[in-house]
Amino acid sequence: MSTIYILCVEDEPEVLDVIVRDLSALEDVFPIEMAVSADEARNIIKEIKEQGDKVGLAICDHVMPGDKGVELMIEMQGDEFTERTRKVLLTGQAGLDATVEAVNHARLNRYIAKPWDPDNLVSVARDELTTFVIENEKDLLPYMGALDAKRIQEAIRARGTISDY
Amino acid sequence: MRTKEKQRFPAWTKTAVGLTLGIIGFCIPLFVHFDGLSFAGHLTLGIFLVAAAFWMLEPIPIYATSMLVIFLQIVLLSTQGPLYQNAELPSYTVEQTAQEEVWRIPDSALQNNTVFLRTGARSSEEIQIEVVETENGFVFVRSDEISSGTEIVSDVNHILTGYTPASYTVFMGTLASPIIILFLGGFMLAAAAVKYNLDKNLTNVLLKPFGEKPMFIILGLMLVTAVLSAFMSNTATTAMMMTVAIPIALQVSKEDKFRIMLALSIPIAANLGGMATPIGTPPNAIVISALNAQGESIAFGTWMLIAVPLVLVMLLSAWGLMRVMYPPTITRFKLELDSAFDKSGKAIIMYFVFALTVVLWITEAQHGIPSGMVAFLPIMGLTVSSVLEKEDIRSLPWEVLWLVAGGIALGISMENTGLAVWLVSSISWDVFPQIVLLLVFGFVALMLSNFLSNTVTATLLIPLAVSMGTSGIAGDGFSLVISAVMIGMACNMAMLLPISTPPNAIAMSTGYIKTADMVKIGSIIGIIGLFVALAYAVLFWPAVLL
Repeated sequence: MSTIYILCVEDEPEVLDVIVRDLSALEDVFPIEMAVSADEARNIIKEIKEQGDKVGLAICDHVMPGDKGVELMIEMQGDEFTERTRKVLLTGQAGLDATVEAVNHARLNRYIAKPWDPDNLVSVARDELTTFVIENEKDLLPYMGALDAKRIQEAIRARGTISDY
Repeated sequence: MRTKEKQRFPAWTKTAVGLTLGIIGFCIPLFVHFDGLSFAGHLTLGIFLVAAAFWMLEPIPIYATSMLVIFLQIVLLSTQGPLYQNAELPSYTVEQTAQEEVWRIPDSALQNNTVFLRTGARSSEEIQIEVVETENGFVFVRSDEISSGTEIVSDVNHILTGYTPASYTVFMGTLASPIIILFLGGFMLAAAAVKYNLDKNLTNVLLKPFGEKPMFIILGLMLVTAVLSAFMSNTATTAMMMTVAIPIALQVSKEDKFRIMLALSIPIAANLGGMATPIGTPPNAIVISALNAQGESIAFGTWMLIAVPLVLVMLLSAWGLMRVMYPPTITRFKLELDSAFDKSGKAIIMYFVFALTVVLWITEAQHGIPSGMVAFLPIMGLTVSSVLEKEDIRSLPWEVLWLVAGGIALGISMENTGLAVWLVSSISWDVFPQIVLLLVFGFVALMLSNFLSNTVTATLLIPLAVSMGTSGIAGDGFSLVISAVMIGMACNMAMLLPISTPPNAIAMSTGYIKTADMVKIGSIIGIIGLFVALAYAVLFWPAVLL
């Protein structure tokens, strides 16, 4: 079974730490990788790909030195490996243009404004990861405890892939 | 980056062990000769051993093992296969001797006081004789079943001795046997019910009368789960009922034991509910087809008559048990039960087909149309009306049908090559009363199916029970019908571990329960179930079945 990672990209290390702390409830099942720039994020994605694992969720800041968050997301959308990754923009400074760009070209799934409510961040992450595993994983049972159990049960019922034997 | 944990054994160890044991098992009968077992029996023993190893250790998926079994049977055991295609029994015409009823035969024709009458080029019949004396290569035997000119088989070790090869169509035909078609009908009804949300809406309607008190909600959940899983797969029912249970669980604190009860009640009820009808769960198919092969048919309604009281008692016991073990602290719940029945034309057709089929199944004894025939009503009705479309048909659990078909096919060869009788004949079972035999069979079935697939357990055990009944080894008063049903029921009561049944695995993955909770309640239910079933088997089933 391949591991599904959460990727957090944020240029300020203190903020990055807060994000990771807020998401710690998910970390047992979905290990979190941190990057302080788009370049570092690319390297991490490359490593995850080489390990044969997946990136299930990317939470990105927009304004960063070097490539901007939205640019990274558009690039991820264009790459087959990260096309299905759920993409969340976590920012206080993205202008309308950048946001529209992200929605149209990176198929942005969620937008969270800074400062964020930790509960909201976790529930968004949980919801997006639930969608990711339902769309991409054959065996849903290992994820039920950490994610939206009701939606996963519903998916098991509708798919009918687990049968009596 | 998380580094992958190093396991004590690499992942392929289990596969390698399974494959190796299977192949060794297959080869043993090819190199070792077992007395009293026909050549075809040896081949079948090889197939039985490889299938048992593969089914138990699962180096390949269990349905794939079934396909392998059927393949080996058509190649090795069929009339048209390379071994039997041109085979003919070697003949020897007995010679009369001076003494009356004493005949001279070659000693190669004799084995343990039996010789085989040659009734055709490819068929023979076993008879008992008395050896009078032996003389270089010949034996003088006494028998009143031999007359002048009787042809006997001159070589007891010939591949055709004691076995009349079946056509390959018999082995392949198991996939279209009435019981498989019955299951297909059930699968299609269940798929249609899920597609149009009948299962959910029905659940919401049926749960309403149970109010808002925790213990009544649990009782309601269990009864509804059992009713649905009697007609749908236990797994699909569990997943659906969990979508009802999870919002309830979220209303109580994480420490409240009520969560444990909630998450346990549904898989328990789903496992038990599967016993209630022939189509409830695959082991029932193995029981019914093995009995059909012996000319014993069990009507759909008859099955329900023997199983439903058992299911009810077990549901109530489990409910009472959980009430004691996990007393709820919360007193009242909000249950949101909105039913919105689909009223489209197709949905209405589906409701009608569903109801009509179930009524015809239950009343089988009254109208006399076999349930396998009735099953063609949903197969036809749901596809002709496009209630189920191509995609829906493709996503039916076909592999379950293959699994059961392989089990039925293996059972056929175990019977007609004499392997099943040979396996059980080493112990003199007739010294045990029937009740002890039932208990032993039930216990073995319960133990095995806690670790193995329920269907596989039934497949491995039922041919043995049936052959004990047909051969008379178990003595008078042994009913093969009751023992086969008992094994089937015991297989369905195994719910000790998360791996015991798919509903258990689903419940476990919610994270509300620990394995220890499941083991505690599963072991008690298994033991209660065994004795309740035994009581029914002795006191009630004979009145219905015999």
